Amino acid sequence: MSDLIIDDRTIALDKDGYLADLSDWSTLVAEALAAREELSLSQEHWEILHLMRDFYTEFQLSPATRPLIKYVALKLGPEKGNSLHLNRLFKGTPAKLAAKLAGLPKPTNCL
Amino acid sequence: MAKSLLLVSRQAPWSGPGAREALDIALAGGAFDLPIGMLFLDDGVFQLAPTQYPEAIQQKDLTANLQALPLFGVDSLYVAQRSLDERGLADTTLDLPVQCLDDAALRDLIDRYDLVITL
Amino acid sequence: MATLHLLSHSPFGDSRFASCLALLGRNDALLLTGDAVHALRAGSTPWESVQQLPEGIAVFALDEDLAARGIAPSGRVQPVNYPGFVELCCRYEKVNSWL
Repeated sequence: MSDLIIDDRTIALDKDGYLADLSDWSTLVAEALAAREELSLSQEHWEILHLMRDFYTEFQLSPATRPLIKYVALKLGPEKGNSLHLNRLFKGTPAKLAAKLAGLPKPTNCL
Repeated sequence: MAKSLLLVSRQAPWSGPGAREALDIALAGGAFDLPIGMLFLDDGVFQLAPTQYPEAIQQKDLTANLQALPLFGVDSLYVAQRSLDERGLADTTLDLPVQCLDDAALRDLIDRYDLVITL
Repeated sequence: MATLHLLSHSPFGDSRFASCLALLGRNDALLLTGDAVHALRAGSTPWESVQQLPEGIAVFALDEDLAARGIAPSGRVQPVNYPGFVELCCRYEKVNSWL
């Protein structure tokens, strides 16, 4: 995958399009990554992306789908912590896509 | 009904891959909703000691990863009382909600599971 | 559920051997291979512990590993070859490999 260029700054991505350096993340970077996926980020996306980053800070790993759903349900309630809502927001692969947009490593337990 | 699996984690956290491998099996199995239990035995109980700072020796923080077990559906967590006693951890507040079991209770525990992996 | 416990590390290296003995169920069995057969050297400390196991617990050891280390099986130890090893793994409901 090619790198990301934002305001003349080159941001390295790995072969799957995840940030090579997690500290490169910013809301601008998230928007640029989302654009590559033909997604525009709404408030509903942002609250999940921020939760993803909280999850990573707390557990030092990216969640697989089930733990992501549980974590969202825990923090935002069951009307958001369910697979229907998350699949709708992130094109059917919430764990992978939300991790990518939130600047986290690719979830390793996502086979 | 999937077979139940007990992971016995008996390696200290920072000296080799054993502790990480046991945890990865637990997280992967939990993500797929398999009935998994995890027992910390022998030096494995050092994974539960509080306020460790593995960054000092350039290691990733396994103890943070361990906290994710309940979210991954692995909430049957046990520790060997004898291993804690031997290592001066008997009165320490451990880093994970685990059930302390004596040898007799551990024998029953191992007996209840269909499969056992000891790492 | 009777478990066959597989040990292949020396009993002198760490707490694996002692923990395994402490957690043996009433009808469990031990199968020693590799350096674990050093536990069967008469007069050694682990040998004393093996002697004290309840009678219901069978003790097996891989014959070629005994021979390679010059240890003669004695008392309750039943030597097995590789086909015997496989047969034991099928005979017990569970196999716990102490890796």
